Amino acid sequence: MAQAALPITHDTHGDHPAPSAGVTNTKLGMWVFLSSDCLFFGAFITTYLLYRNRNLAGPTPRSLYNIPFTSVTSFILLMSSLTMVLALAAIQRNDMRRFKVWVMATAVFGILFIGGQVFEFTEFYREGMSLRTNVSSSIFYVATGLHGLHVSVGIVWLMSLWGMAMQGKLGQRDAEAVEVSGLYWHFVDVVWIVIFAVVYLIP
Amino acid sequence: MSETTTELEPAHDHALLHGHSDLPMLPGEEHPHPSPFQYVMIAVILCVITGFEIAAYYLDKAVPESVLTAILVISAIAKFFIVIGWYMHLKTDRKIFRRLFMVGFVGSLILYTIVLLTLSGLADT
Amino acid sequence: MTAVPEVMPAPVESGGLDLFRRPKETSGFWSWFTTIDHKKIGILYGTTALIFFVIAGIEALLIRLQLAGPNGTVLTAGQYNAMFTMHGTTMVFLVGMPMAVAFGNYLIPIMIGARDVAFPRMNMFGFWVFLFGGLFIYSSLFTGIANMPNGGWFGYTPLTSTPMSAGYLPGRGPDFWVIGLIMLGIGSTTSAINFVVTILNMRAPGMTLMRMPVFVWMMLVVAFLTVFALPIVTAALIMVFFDRNYLTNFFVAQNGGDPLLYQHLFWLFGHPEVYILILPGMGIVSEILPVMSRKPLFGYSVVVFSGIAIGFMGWGVWAHHMFATGLGPVAISAFGLATMLIAVPTGVKIFNWLGTVWGGSVKLNVPMLFSLGFIAMFTLGGLSGVTHSIVPADTQQTDTYYVVAHFHYVLFGGLVFAILGGIVYWFPKVFGRMMNERLGKLSFWVLFVGFNLTFFPMHFLGLTGMPRRTYRYTEGLGWDTLNLVVTAGGFIIALATLLFVSNAVWSWKRGPIAPADPWDGRTLEWSIPSPTPEYNFAAIPKVEARDDFWHRKYTEDDQGRLVRLPAGGSGEDAAVDVSSIHLPSPSYFPLVLAAGLPVIGYAAVYKNPWLAIPGVLLLLFGMYGWAIEPGTAED
Repeated sequence: MAQAALPITHDTHGDHPAPSAGVTNTKLGMWVFLSSDCLFFGAFITTYLLYRNRNLAGPTPRSLYNIPFTSVTSFILLMSSLTMVLALAAIQRNDMRRFKVWVMATAVFGILFIGGQVFEFTEFYREGMSLRTNVSSSIFYVATGLHGLHVSVGIVWLMSLWGMAMQGKLGQRDAEAVEVSGLYWHFVDVVWIVIFAVVYLIP
Repeated sequence: MSETTTELEPAHDHALLHGHSDLPMLPGEEHPHPSPFQYVMIAVILCVITGFEIAAYYLDKAVPESVLTAILVISAIAKFFIVIGWYMHLKTDRKIFRRLFMVGFVGSLILYTIVLLTLSGLADT
Repeated sequence: MTAVPEVMPAPVESGGLDLFRRPKETSGFWSWFTTIDHKKIGILYGTTALIFFVIAGIEALLIRLQLAGPNGTVLTAGQYNAMFTMHGTTMVFLVGMPMAVAFGNYLIPIMIGARDVAFPRMNMFGFWVFLFGGLFIYSSLFTGIANMPNGGWFGYTPLTSTPMSAGYLPGRGPDFWVIGLIMLGIGSTTSAINFVVTILNMRAPGMTLMRMPVFVWMMLVVAFLTVFALPIVTAALIMVFFDRNYLTNFFVAQNGGDPLLYQHLFWLFGHPEVYILILPGMGIVSEILPVMSRKPLFGYSVVVFSGIAIGFMGWGVWAHHMFATGLGPVAISAFGLATMLIAVPTGVKIFNWLGTVWGGSVKLNVPMLFSLGFIAMFTLGGLSGVTHSIVPADTQQTDTYYVVAHFHYVLFGGLVFAILGGIVYWFPKVFGRMMNERLGKLSFWVLFVGFNLTFFPMHFLGLTGMPRRTYRYTEGLGWDTLNLVVTAGGFIIALATLLFVSNAVWSWKRGPIAPADPWDGRTLEWSIPSPTPEYNFAAIPKVEARDDFWHRKYTEDDQGRLVRLPAGGSGEDAAVDVSSIHLPSPSYFPLVLAAGLPVIGYAAVYKNPWLAIPGVLLLLFGMYGWAIEPGTAED
């Protein structure tokens, strides 16, 4: 879906009149997509809530959580939202130097988060909880894994923005493209806020 | 946790630390977006809430489970709305975005709550 | 309203990736591969869906041959499973939904006064994903008919989620089904997002929401339903895929999973899906009836609001597909009541259509016949639908042919009738030629007779206990004669389809040249030449009323009689330099991007990670090419 709003998708329409909703197509389309994605993640969170208390053999995710570690990675993801808005503010004032710094910082925070997730998965697997150990472990891996996939798409997207900025192909006029990528990024962060509270913390 | 924020704050960046935003408005923006300074302040609030959540998690022996759950749910909701409101600009942008997103978000809450109720509680009666 | 600055594409020195020459042709064979013109994409969707319609029909005929008499021997049990699964899957995902998208693509921009949809390249991407998704599912045919998807179009777990090694369902069929449906979901979601944005944001000046044609309104509701329903089933399918291939236990009861969760997720998608299928048909009929009755639609706002109400309430009735699963009395009562309630807005619409025809000067031509057929057949299907909301009766009807009769009355008698009527109605606008009237009437009556012969006896078969999805029955159960009648009816439907398709093909080549406004239409699409020029509107129209084009043609005298205004009211004669209209240029990248998906799909089905690499590379290449390529090529 990310391709829907990669930068420079503004198609010209000759003398087409002003948009009837007063907004640009790209941003509107991104919000519709995010709204739709709520139901996607909602389904997995529901499944987790249904299966979390089933009494099952083998280690469950809740017996293995390393809350301090996950708190740090969650915190990193939360901070990446800050760097993302700072990147947007930078490109809005045509400060491309800061834009490059902040957008790269956002991508690096994303990579750190994914790294943490890989570490966590490996650790859990070593402690005897595989994908098929029990329904609780299955939904844990699938739900957080799909979130990780969303983060990875976001990282590729941010890196592309950074690459285009390095080549001088990105400027103040593309601020909206950055905003749209930011919407995606923040949404992924928001989903993690919910997952962290519901999946990790709630007893 | 919140000590880490200091190193992330753009302390070297005095030009950006002024109050209200003077950024050029983007399409669909109704009121000005927050300034970088406000963005950082929002991040501080988010960090405080996160710290509170984790602290509450370690207090699980001291407080009843239902209170803990309530604290965590409220904190998550607060963070959720802060991020979508200020970082995703739903507070300042045109209402159409807010409405579109809320349809999906509130809709999924209602639908999945019914699914969970039907699958767990109601079936046993 | 704040003016939005026109965002111009960056002046990129090279036209994006230089691997391809930027396609510029807008006619000829190859232009169909690179076009991003919403009209051509609409035609592509329509013809592809029509081909799948014929395929699904052949599958249905095979089923009917097998069931024509007791102890049928045409198909084996495994082949029969594959046939009814593929028939259902094809009709829902490869005929019903894309047909609606075909109409939406072609008509939405010219009904709201736009030059194109909001995301032209994404539009073409959606078509390629639909085509590749369909071919992907059907490519399972090469593993043998019985190994095609064979778990029903609903793919109930744990039947579909049991690993292949356990030997429940042979072959990789359910995997093809799962991956194919996820792909089709991506395609429909992109096209739905496109429609939402187009309708909300691309209307001509003066085209307020409450001036939009009802068809556009219904497509807006459908687009929202699609956007919110598809992610749910995608999530469920992902879990089924893990169950089958990685031995998880999401839906395996003995290991802690919950098969009912799948049913909830599936029908949470599946019931809105029913409205995704039928609402476009209601929209088409709401366009045809006023024109052919020469009266405005009776109660426009009521029709619109009941369409929206159906869209909302469609989310509250999913569990009526699950009454037999033991939901508990509270849930059953709530969902039963909701199901009764949803009949109200539907009934309101039926009365509105009748009110439209009532007292009009009715032209009983082919589109009108199909529309009236729609009302009659849909009402019958709706009535048998209400009987399902009476839970004790539903328990008796569940999994019998009564249910098959019900949903064929709403989806074939409803949707397919509306689609065929819509094809005849807009054929002149799309191809510039009229369809043959006599052949059209003949095909309608043959279809009408064949349809009722096929599906009406199924009510009785179901009530006397004949179960669905069972490949054989023994003689002496009282089902023999009726089944023979049903099979004969099926072949009459096939004959009608043949008549209709040959009429379309013949008219496309030889039909009389159509004027711009052959039916004395009411909406904007009739104000432009037939066939629609590439730029749609030479000058973007200024809309002043609902049924704007009608009011440009007619006024009323003091007795309320219609008086034709002198010609020249339409904007067509305004001298506009058409060559100055810039349309987005064709592109290869939607095709490249979409081509990556089936490659990844095969990698998933055959669990071959190496195969995924070219797929991912294609995706990345397509995305970057797409992102870098400017919307409009420099001349």
